[in-house]
Amino acid sequence: MEFFLEQILNGLVYGVLLFLTAAGLSLIFGLMNVVSLAHGSFFMMGGYVAYSLYRLTGSFWAALLLAPVPIVAAGVAMEVIFLRPLYRRGHLDQVLLTFGFTFIFLDAVQTIWGRDVLALPPPAVFDGVVALGTGVFSSYRLFLIGFGLAIALLLWLFLDRSQLGARVRAGVDDAAMAGGLGCNISALFTAIFGAGVALAALGGVAAGPIFGIYPGEDAEILIPAFIVIVVGGMGSLRGAFVGSLLIGEADTFGNAYMPQLALFLIYLVMAIVLLVRPQGLFGIKHGLAASPSGSTPAAPLPSRRALAIGLIGVAALVIYPLLVADYQRSLVTELLIFAIVAMSLDLLLGFTGLMSLGHAAFFGLGAYVVIVLGTFFDFNAWFGVALGIGAAALAALVIGYFCVRASGIPFLMLTLAFSQLVYSVALKWRDVTGGSDGIGLAVKPSLFGFTLSNSLTMYFVALFFFVLCFLGLRRLVSSPLGRVFIGIRENEARMLAIGYATRRYKLASFTIGGAVAGLAGGLYAVFNGFISPDAVYWSASGDILIMVMLGGAGTLLGPVFGAAAFLLMKNLVSTYSEHWLAIIGVVFVACVLFFPGGFWGTLRQVRIMTREKVPA
Amino acid sequence: MSVLRTESLYCAFGSLVVTKDVTLTVIKGERHVIIGPNGAGKTSLLNQIGGQLHAGRGRILLGGTDITQWPPNRIAQSGIARTFQRNNLFPNLTVLENLCLAVEARRGRPWDFFSLADHRHAVIRRAEALLAQVHIAGDASRPVHNLSYGEQRQLEIGLALAGEPTLLLLDEPTSGMSPAETKSMIALIASLPRTLSILMIEHDMNVVFTVADRITVFYYGEVLASGPPAEIRNDRRVREIYLGMED
Ligand SMILES: Nc1ncnc2c1ncn2[C@@H]1O[C@H](COP(=O)(O)OP(=O)(O)OP(=O)(O)O)[C@@H](O)[C@H]1O
Ligand SMILES: [Mg+2]
Repeated sequence: MEFFLEQILNGLVYGVLLFLTAAGLSLIFGLMNVVSLAHGSFFMMGGYVAYSLYRLTGSFWAALLLAPVPIVAAGVAMEVIFLRPLYRRGHLDQVLLTFGFTFIFLDAVQTIWGRDVLALPPPAVFDGVVALGTGVFSSYRLFLIGFGLAIALLLWLFLDRSQLGARVRAGVDDAAMAGGLGCNISALFTAIFGAGVALAALGGVAAGPIFGIYPGEDAEILIPAFIVIVVGGMGSLRGAFVGSLLIGEADTFGNAYMPQLALFLIYLVMAIVLLVRPQGLFGIKHGLAASPSGSTPAAPLPSRRALAIGLIGVAALVIYPLLVADYQRSLVTELLIFAIVAMSLDLLLGFTGLMSLGHAAFFGLGAYVVIVLGTFFDFNAWFGVALGIGAAALAALVIGYFCVRASGIPFLMLTLAFSQLVYSVALKWRDVTGGSDGIGLAVKPSLFGFTLSNSLTMYFVALFFFVLCFLGLRRLVSSPLGRVFIGIRENEARMLAIGYATRRYKLASFTIGGAVAGLAGGLYAVFNGFISPDAVYWSASGDILIMVMLGGAGTLLGPVFGAAAFLLMKNLVSTYSEHWLAIIGVVFVACVLFFPGGFWGTLRQVRIMTREKVPA
Repeated sequence: MSVLRTESLYCAFGSLVVTKDVTLTVIKGERHVIIGPNGAGKTSLLNQIGGQLHAGRGRILLGGTDITQWPPNRIAQSGIARTFQRNNLFPNLTVLENLCLAVEARRGRPWDFFSLADHRHAVIRRAEALLAQVHIAGDASRPVHNLSYGEQRQLEIGLALAGEPTLLLLDEPTSGMSPAETKSMIALIASLPRTLSILMIEHDMNVVFTVADRITVFYYGEVLASGPPAEIRNDRRVREIYLGMED
C-alpha cells in the first residue's frame, strides 16, 4: 500500500514537471501557432543556471527565483529577433530555427558546465523525509508537488479571471480576432512566450534536486511534454494539466510495476487517445485549415538536356573513385547513402507536405536489423538489408497509422515522439543492441565474392542503390500517385473534397519514405559496420531534415546536394572545432533566415526570374 | 423524387447556432437556390452536406442512404461534388494538373505509381473537355495562381464537375465576378444537363431568379420560406427581411 501511494506521489512529481514545460508549449502554440523545440533547452538551462547561482549564493531559493531571469531574457531575445519575422512563414521554418537553437544551447551548456551530471541539493527545510504510513517520502518531492499545483492554480486564475488572461484566451481562440480587439498582439505574444520560458526554467530548477542536471535533459523533457500536448489537446491549459498528470502517473507506474514495458506505456496512452479523440482530450475539434501551400510545381518530365546532364553526373561518379584514395572514396560513399535518406524524407516533406521529425528512426532500424541479425544469427548482410527494409516499412506503417491522424505541428510532434521511442529501445535493450556502446559487425559481408571491406566495391554498391532510388523516386513523383501526394501537399482539404482518402495516401507516402530510409540504413550498416543509438537520436532526424531544407524540399536533386554539403561541412568542421553542435545550430538558423527555398529552390527562383526578364 | 434530404439538421459553434432544425429536399434535376443574409448559415449547411462540418443533430440522406457521419471523400465518391465560396484550388499546380487530380479521383487509377501522369491520355482528354466546358481558354499549363479571379471561379466548377456528380453544391459561384463573367457563369450553369441536380447559394438576385426552380430562404440558421420563385417573390416576410434590403 505504501509502495502504491509512493508511486502516486512520484507520478505527481513527474506530472507537475511535465506540466511546467507543457503549459508554456501549449499556450505558445495556441496563441501563436508556433512550436518551439527549444522549450526543452530552456528547462535544461534553468537547471544549469540555478546550479551556478547556488554555488554563488549557497541558497536554493535564490537560485529558484533568479535562474529564470537570464533564461527568459534569452528566450525573449530569440522570439523577438529570430522567431517574430517567421510568423508569416510556414511551421517548418520555425521548427528548424528553434531546432537550430537547441544545438546552440546544448553546445553552450556543455562548454560552460561540462558533460557530467551536476547535483543541486534541495533546500535545507525540505532535506528530510516525511512519514507516510509505515514508509517515508522525500519532503522535497512533496514540496515540488505543492509548488507545481500552486503554479497551475495561479495560471488558471490568471487566464480565467484577469483582463490580460481574457485576451490570451481570445487570442488562443482566434488570433485575428484578438488583433481586432485592439490589444498589441505582438507584445502579448512576447509576454506569453517569456512566461512559457519562465515556467520551463522553473521546472528545470525544481527538477535539479531530483534528477540532477545534465545535457540531454532537453530532449528528455521535451518529448514527453509533446506527448502530453497531443494527449491533452493543443492550446488547452486544462489539457496540459490533465495530460501531464496522466502521463506522469502512467510512466511512473509503468516503471514500478512492469519495467520492461514502461517505455511503451505512455505511447500506448497516446495511441489510445489518438484513436478515440484525435484532437486530444480537451482539444477543440477543428476542421482542416487550408495549409500554407508549398512552392514547387510538380516535377517536370526529364528533358533531353537534363538527361544528358544526368548521364554526365553518373559518369563522373563512376570515374571518381578510380582516381582517389580510400578516404575520399569512403566519404563519397557516405554522401551517397545519406543522399538516399534525404531523398526519402523529401518524399514526405517536399512532395507530400508531411513534416516528419523522426525519419532517423527508419534509417536506424534498417541498420540495426542488418547488424543485429549478422551478429547473432550470422545472417547474410544482403538478406539483412532486405529484412531491414521490411522492418522499416512495417514500423513506418504502424507509426504512420497514428501520425497521419494529425497534421501540421501535432504530426511533427508525433513523429518525433515515436522516433524517440525507437531511440529508447535502442538504448535500453542492451542485450541485443549493445545499448549506448552500439554494436558492430565482426566480419564485413561480401557481394558475389567481392568483399565489401574493399572501399571500391562498397562505393559502387552505394552508387547503384543511389541511382536506383533516385530514378525510382522520380518515377513515383511523376506518377498519378505522386501527383496525389503533391495535391495533398498543396491543399489537403480540397483533396478530401474531390474524393481522396488523404490519410491513406499520406500513410502510403510515409511507408514508402520509411522503407527507402531503411534501405539507406542497411547500406550504412554494411558500409560502416557499426551502429549506435546516436544514429536514431532526434538530432539525427534533424540532420536529415536540414539536408533536405538546405538543398531545397520538393526537388529530388536538391536534398542530394544538401546531404553532400552538410556532410562535407560536418567532416571539415569537426576536424577543426569542438563546437560542431553550435555550428550546426548556426547553419540551421542561417538556412532558415537566408535560404528559405534551399540551394535548389534559390537556383530555380533565379532561373525563373532571368527567364521572365528575357522573354523568349 | 428527392436526391438529397436533410432532416432537422442542427449545428452550432459554441453558443452560435448556425443551422437550427433545417429540413430541406432537393428533387432530381432541380435547381435549388438558397438565399439569405450574410452569416445566415448557408455555407455551414453546405459544409454539413459536403462532410466538411459535422452536424450536431439531424440526418442527411442521399437517395435513401444516411451520409451524416461520412467523411468528405466518401461523400464526394458517392456523387456529391461542391465548390467553395472562397476559391479553394491548387494554386501552384497548372490548370490541367488541377483538373487531372479531380478526374483521376473519380475514374482514374490514383494508386498507380508507375505510369507517368503526363502520359495518361484518357485522363488528360477528359480534363481538357472539362476545361472547354467551363469556358477556360488559353494555356492549360499556366499555374492556377496566374488565372484571373473569374477563371479561378470557373475552375472551381470544373473541379466539381470532374467528379461526375449527381448533385452539385455551388457556394456563390458568381461572387466577385464582373457582369460579363456573371453572365457566362449563368450560361455555364444553364448548360448543365438536367440529370444533374444543383443546390446553390447565391446573393445576386438576377442570377437567383434566372436559375432557380425553387428558392429556400435562410434566416439566422432557420428556413424562413421555401417554394417556387414566384411564391418567394411575393412572400411578405421574405420581402420584409430580405428582399426589402435589395430595393
Ligand atoms: N469555423 C467557424 N467557427 C466559428 N464560427 C463560424 C465558423 N464558420 C462560420 N462561423 C460563423 O457562423 C455563422 C454562419 O456562417 P456561414 O458562413 O455559414 O454564413 P453564410 O450564410 O454562408 O454567410 P455569407 O453569406 O457571408 O457567406 C457566421 O456568423 C460565421 O461567423
Ligand atoms: Mg457563405
